[in-house]
Parts: sequence; structure tokens; C-alpha cells
Amino acid sequence: MAKIATEGILAKLKKVKDIVKFNGGVWNSIVTLYRTDELKQGELVGEDKYGNKYYRNDEHIMGRNKWVVYSDKVGMNYDGSQVPAEWHRWLSDMTDTPPTVKPPLQHRWMIDHIENKTGTQQRYVPYSTTRAKIQSWQPPAPSK
Amino acid sequence: MSSSQITTRISQQVVKPLISTSNAEAKRRVLKLYRAWYRQAPFVVLEYDIPIGEKEVRAKVREQFEKNKHVTDMRVIDMLVLKGQMELKETANIWKQKNHVMNYFKETEVKKTDDFLTNFYEGHHV
Amino acid sequence: MLGYRFLSKLKHVLRPRPTPSVGFARSQEAQAVANKLEVFIDDQKVVVDPGTTVLQACAMAGVEIPRFCYHDRLSVAGNCRMCLVEVEKSPKPVASCAMPVMNGMRVKTDSPVSRKAREGVMEFLLVNHPLDCPICDQGGECDLQDQSMAFGGDKSRFVDNEYTGKRAVEDKDIGPLVKTIMTRCIQCTRCVRFASEVAGVEDLGTTGRGNDMQIGTYVEKLFASELSGNVIDLCPVGALTGKPYAFTSRPWELRRVESIDVMDACGSNITIGMRSGEVMRIVPRVNEEINEEWICDKARFAIDGLSVQRLTSPMVKSPEGYLENCDWEDALFCAAEKITRAGAGNVAAVAGSLVDAESLVALRDFLHRLGSETLTVNSEHPSDHLVNDLRASYIFNSGIVSVEDADHVLFIGGNPRLDAPVLNARVRKCWIHNELEVSLIGQDVDLTYHHNHLGETLSTLEQLLDGSHAFAKTMYAAKRPLIIVNGKILCGENGSRVQDLALKLANKLSQQHAEDGWNVYNVLQTEASRVAALDLGYKSSSKSALTKQTKVLYLLGADDEVINRADLADDCFIIYQGHHGDRGAAIADLVLPGACYTEKNATYVNTEGRAQQTRQAATPPGLAREDWKIIRALSEICGVTLPYSSLSTARQRLCEVSPSFSRYGDQEEALFFQQVVSLSEDSSESGATNEKLTNDMKDLSHFYMTNSISRASRTMAKCVQAFKDKD
Repeated sequence: MAKIATEGILAKLKKVKDIVKFNGGVWNSIVTLYRTDELKQGELVGEDKYGNKYYRNDEHIMGRNKWVVYSDKVGMNYDGSQVPAEWHRWLSDMTDTPPTVKPPLQHRWMIDHIENKTGTQQRYVPYSTTRAKIQSWQPPAPSK
Repeated sequence: MSSSQITTRISQQVVKPLISTSNAEAKRRVLKLYRAWYRQAPFVVLEYDIPIGEKEVRAKVREQFEKNKHVTDMRVIDMLVLKGQMELKETANIWKQKNHVMNYFKETEVKKTDDFLTNFYEGHHV
Repeated sequence: MLGYRFLSKLKHVLRPRPTPSVGFARSQEAQAVANKLEVFIDDQKVVVDPGTTVLQACAMAGVEIPRFCYHDRLSVAGNCRMCLVEVEKSPKPVASCAMPVMNGMRVKTDSPVSRKAREGVMEFLLVNHPLDCPICDQGGECDLQDQSMAFGGDKSRFVDNEYTGKRAVEDKDIGPLVKTIMTRCIQCTRCVRFASEVAGVEDLGTTGRGNDMQIGTYVEKLFASELSGNVIDLCPVGALTGKPYAFTSRPWELRRVESIDVMDACGSNITIGMRSGEVMRIVPRVNEEINEEWICDKARFAIDGLSVQRLTSPMVKSPEGYLENCDWEDALFCAAEKITRAGAGNVAAVAGSLVDAESLVALRDFLHRLGSETLTVNSEHPSDHLVNDLRASYIFNSGIVSVEDADHVLFIGGNPRLDAPVLNARVRKCWIHNELEVSLIGQDVDLTYHHNHLGETLSTLEQLLDGSHAFAKTMYAAKRPLIIVNGKILCGENGSRVQDLALKLANKLSQQHAEDGWNVYNVLQTEASRVAALDLGYKSSSKSALTKQTKVLYLLGADDEVINRADLADDCFIIYQGHHGDRGAAIADLVLPGACYTEKNATYVNTEGRAQQTRQAATPPGLAREDWKIIRALSEICGVTLPYSSLSTARQRLCEVSPSFSRYGDQEEALFFQQVVSLSEDSSESGATNEKLTNDMKDLSHFYMTNSISRASRTMAKCVQAFKDKD
């Protein structure tokens, strides 16, 4: 019977129960499932400045063993570019040492990470750096 | 032979027919061609992938036929039918390209005008 | 300094003239036929005048001799040695440019001796010439390139690149227009001779000798001449190139468009070099009757003004007083509404200095159809007393080329050197070669040659007229005198007095000694549009347009200081049509963008009354349109449609007004000079005679920026600055 408890249906039910518990109850599990399309259990490796949580569970195959759960603040508007560079390294297996263990080097000239602003008012618009062949006259302001 | 005699002779000459021997036959050929075009319409739409429906293609075919409805000379009718058949064959065998078919529907073509103001606004050089 | 002395001597060597001037030829024709010389060029017989050089005789035989230092319009230097040819019975090859022909001379231009001589000279030149053709601006139009291909040897013996190397010369800074790369210089001294003979500034010279010979200004200074750009064309190599044009384009990329310059009223012929819709450069085109082969710096270098400060969209003034872009329909309807509301007679028009004849006639017809007669040119003249109904009173009657035959030139007012540089260059040429005497009334200026300054006031003219002036005797003795009145003086405060006195003086001179048919009275206009405007009946006083009655003022390219908002009623609506945002556009309520002279096929009449046409090189930028079309479109919206809608029909209309507009290239002679004189006597007025003749062209710094194009040009601004910093 003990065998059934580790390998059989009961074990699987226990696993489901553990995962639901890990995700903070039934309601929260439904919400997470809705947001991320999957429900996983793993070790919380760290959290970045946006509040994104990074997990690791090596029971999954490589490529699925590290994942991010985006901050609740963004709701459904999460996007890959919301992962800061140092976490991106860890997440995409460039390194196994998370930035919580080895903080990234901070130089003075480095600007803060921002997400991709495409589709918003702050989007990047390319502009020409060559001077126009014909320059129009700009009328002076009216004199009072 | 006096000149009046020549005139009479010429007027009495019977011209050599092209294909049809009677008006009824010529008409039959025209209708046959029209029917062939009519049936080709869905294939034209499909094969050339044109943004135009069967209805419009058929309307265009009818328009092209009606362009020549004033023609009564049997030989001219025969010649036009021949040309229509050539056109049909070229279309059906996809010897044409999309733009050749679309040439019949010149919707985007800007009409040239002699109106000074229109040209002035558009910046066209007269 | 030996070079300077050598060249100053050279200046006095009269250059042999391939084609003597008209008057000269007439007197000598009979003799010349009798003593012609026979020479044989490559066994081909040529009959030439005595005094012809071997090089010219070869040219007549159709054989071109390579040359660097020789130039048709400069004195002979004979120092490049490229033109060596073999002459039979001569022990050495001779320099053909300096050798006069002798009877029975047999010249061999393609013999082994000639060829070896050329190849030797070319080899020596190339020893010290850098191999930077790929980055040289002269590349593609370089005499040295072409001639080394045609006449040079096929190999070089210059191998000592490591040890002795090539000669290198420091570049000189001679101003913002001419870039010098002196290492490329082959010491042909064309530029030195041009500066001292044609431009009349002794700034350039040679220093050192042999391998150390250098061209330069000795101490670094500005090459201060209004004709300085011509040394770029003269330079056979890339030593002198255009500074603004540096590294911008290659000659084979340019589309050449033959056109007319409008910076002054001479109508110098130019070739516009155009690449991808942009005017890259302007070079002169030969026209013996106007500019020979020179153009002034303003014509050549003001082109960068064509691409800045442009009006590219119609603009209408918002209630807040800002000029805001709008489309043509809005602009034309706005104009039409103001014009129709103003009522007949309250619409006035002023034509500016760069306007073409087609738009002038369109504007005239438009206003006449509206019932208004107030059409004027830009002028400060207080009233309309000028005798301008007859053509003889406002054109350069005898033609620019007549200076060659004249024996006395009297300039009244202005500064001919800066108002018409190519005319002044011709006067200077005749002063050197023909013993022409020049005198000037008005403020004394540097004309680059000696002239008698007779006085500054109107009284000088009166004294000349009644013979009491010390100089009067010399003047009346002249057989072919020319009086050249500056157009700006005529537009000034006492313009009608000057015109009156000058006409009387001209009349007196022509009655006393002058030859029959010799026109004495000439007006040197300074604005390219002026003669066409006066031909079309525009009045010469813009004061009549600037009254409080005027409800709508139409400024057709009028950018001069004469127009002042304060002279007009407060509710006067100003429409400005033109190509540059300048003074006119700044005071306008509505701006209509037009095309400048490189962007339209248009007719201009120069100061001689010679109609010439500009050709379109670029397209008008943005929403700008050709000027006559704008007026035509406006007329249609105002309900008074003009009866022409194409360029050819507009030109037909011009011909109806005066057939002279269609005779492109011909100078149309003006008749009825006697009637002009009598008309002027009828309307003559008296006034104070001690008034000075004003002149706004005192030195070069006033020359560069005179119209809306040159005021927009950065190059011209740099020139003004360079001239001011010079001392």
C-alpha cells in the first residue's frame, strides 16, 4: 500500500494538493493558472525590483526548470521585457548563479532597465540624422 | 466600259466571308463566345487571385461585348469573335498575369485633366 | 620676389587677339587682306594675320596644341612649355603660344621631336604632382589628367619616392570661396595673370624660383575680388577649387542646365550643375556679348542660399498673428476673398528684383482685370516723374559690348565694379588695351583701374553740361563716349534730376562729336527683373502703391527695404509671393511659395534689353509652384481668369505686349532717344544741386548680400565676415 502512496494515484493527488497549497489555496491557484497557463511548484530563488518572482525546480526538464511569475501589479499585461538583464541571464541559462547570490556589477554609466515601451506614448521612434536638403523658413513670432 | 458600269459591277460583287456565311451564324458564334467567357469567370477570379468577384467579372465581360454592339458587318463580327477567343485562351491558360486582367478594371487610374486649377493643386506640370 | 617683377612686366605685354574687336576690325580690314601670312601646319596651308601666334594658327588648322599656361583672355606667359612644337629650320622646339608666325613657316605638331618635347615636359610636371586624382575635386575635368592621357609618355622615370619624394607645398588660406591645395599647382600662373589683368587686384603672385616656385599671396591674406571664383575655372589642375563645392560631387555626375544668372542685371550666362534635384554648382557659360567667360562670385557661390530659408508651403496668418502652413486651396480662397472685398483700385502690386517676365505680365493682367492700375517696381523714388515710357530711357542702349569701341566712359553714381562685375571687367580690359578713359561722378570707389573722379554732387553734372567743369573739354572731345547711369541712382531721391541732366549731357555729347548711330546714354540696371518690369509698364515709384488707400498689397518677390508696414493702412492685407522667407514674407499676412530662378523656365531681360531664358534645373520644393501659375490660379478663383494656362501661351501674351520678349539672346535696340530727351525737358524740375549721389555699394562687404537668395546664403555671409576681418 505504501507503494501506492509514492507512485499511485494517491501520490499524484497529494502532489496536486501540495502544488495548490504552494500557490496559496484554491482561488489563488485558479488565478495563477489563468495568468500563466500552468501551475508549478518550486524553490523561490529571488525577486527583482518589479516584484517578479523567480522559481526553480529541477524536477522539470531543462528549459522548464526556471520560470518567472510576473508581479501582480501588471495583471495580465506581462511581457518578456519586464525581466531585468541580470535575471534574464539566469532565466535563460547563461548562468546558474542567480543575481541574489552574485549581484551584477553596477557601473556609473549603466542606465536602469526599462521594459519595452512599444505601443505606448513613450515608444521609441526612429528619426533621421541627416539634414533636409531644403530647409523651410520659420516665420518669426508676431511682434506686439 | 463606262464608269457607271464599273460601279454597278462593284456593288454587285459578293464579298468573301471570313468564317460565317450568314448573320445568324455570326450571332451564334458571338453567343458561344459569350457563354464561354461567362463560364470562365469563376476560374478567372480563382486563378488570378484578383480582388474582384464573379459578378463583376461577368459584368465586365458583358460590358466588353456591348462595346461592339453597334457592329453589323458580319466579317467584322467574325474578326472580333476571333480576337475574343484569343483573349479567352490567353486568360484561361494563364498566359496573362494578374495586372493584364486588372487592366480591364482601371479603378485606381487617375484621369488626366486639362483643368488648370486641378493640375495646380496637384502640382502637375502642364 | 623676382616672380612678382616678372609678372608685372608681363602685364604690359599686349596679348595677341584672335578676333579683334568690331570697330578695330572695320578700320584694319583693308590692310589685313593685303598682308596675310602663309604658314604650313603639318603640311596644311593656313593663311593668317601677322601677329598671330603659332598656337592660334594651329587652332585654325584644326590642330589642338596642349597647353597649361596659355589662355585666350589672358596675357601670354609662355612658362609651362607644354605647347612646344617643332618648327623647320629652328634648332630647338619652340613654345607655340608665344611665337608669332612668320611667312612660310612650316610647323610640325606631331613629329617625334614635338612629341618627345611634350612627353618630357609632362614627365617633369608629374614628378611633382601628387597622385591624388581620386580625391581631387578637379578629377574628371582636369587639364593635366586629360593631357597626360593624350600627350604624356607611357612610363615614368620617377622612382625615388623614398628618398627625395615629391615636392610638397603648404596650402594657403585665401578666403572662404577658393580652396587651395598648392601641392597640386603646376605654376602656370593663370590665376596670377587673371588677378592682375582681369580682376585688377594684385594679390596673387609667385615667390621663389625653380623647384621652389610658389603661387600665393606672400603674406596670408584674403583674395578680395568680386571675380575671385573664376580662378577655379582657370586653374588647369586641382590647385584652386571651390571651397563650398569641395568633395560634394563629380563632374560626370552633374546634369548641366544652361541658364541665366539673376544676381545682377547683366544676365550673365551660366551652366547649372544639377545632381538629384539639387543645384551643386554654377559655372560660367561663354557669351562674348555679355560676360565673356567670367561670372561674379555672387552668381557662382550664392547657390547654397537656394536650399535654406525657403518658402515650401502657403502660409496664412492666424488670429494670434502667427503665420501657419495651409494648403493651396485655403490660401488662394483667402487671398481671393480679401482682393474681391477690397474693391477695384484698392489693390496694388510691387515687383521685386528676381521676378521673371512671365509672372510680371500675369500679375499685370490680373490687376488690370481687377480694375487696378497700381503696379510698381521696388524703388524709393518719391514720384513717378521718371521718363520711363520709352525704352531708350531705361536700358543699356549701346550694349555691353560697345565698351570695346568706346573711348570714354562716364559712370554716374553707384559702384559699377560691384553692381555689374562682368561689365567692369570689360571696362578694365578696354582700359588696358584700348586706352579707354574712365571717369566717375558720385562717391569715389575703387574700380580696380585708374579713373577720373569728377565730383560727388549733382552740380558736377551741371558743370559738365554747361562746360564750366575742368574736365568738360576732354569729355566733349570724345568720339565714342558712353554715359552709364546707375539704375539705383535713378530710383533714389533725386533720380529724376539725375536722369534729366544725364539725358541732356548725352544729347549734347551725341550732337557734338560722336559718330552717327552711336548711343551715348546707357542705364546700368542692378536688378534682374527691372527692364522686363518697365517694359511691361510697371511704374517706377513704389510710393504710389504704399498709400493708406491700399487695401491689398501684392508683393511679388519684393524683399527690399522700401516696403514698410508703417506706410500702409493698419487693415492693409499683404500678400507675399516669392521663394525665400525674407523681409517681404516677414511682413506678410499671406505667403504664397514660388520658384526661384533655378526652378523654372522663365524669361529675364537684362540691362541691355536682351531677353534670355533660365531653364529649370530643380523642381520647386514642397508645395511651391511656378510664379506665373500662382497668379493664374488666383485669377481663376477671383473670377477674372487669365486667358493663358500653359507656358507657351503665357509667352505668347508676353509677345503681344512686346515682341522683344520672344527674341531670346538678341539685344533689342531702343529707338526714340530724341523723344526721350524732349520728354525729359518737358518734365524737368529744378532743385538743390549740392546733393550728393548716394551709393550703398562702398566696398566688397556690401556686394555679397543684396537679394533674398544671397541673404540666405551662408557662403555669402562668410564672405562678408572674411572681408570685415581682413584688416
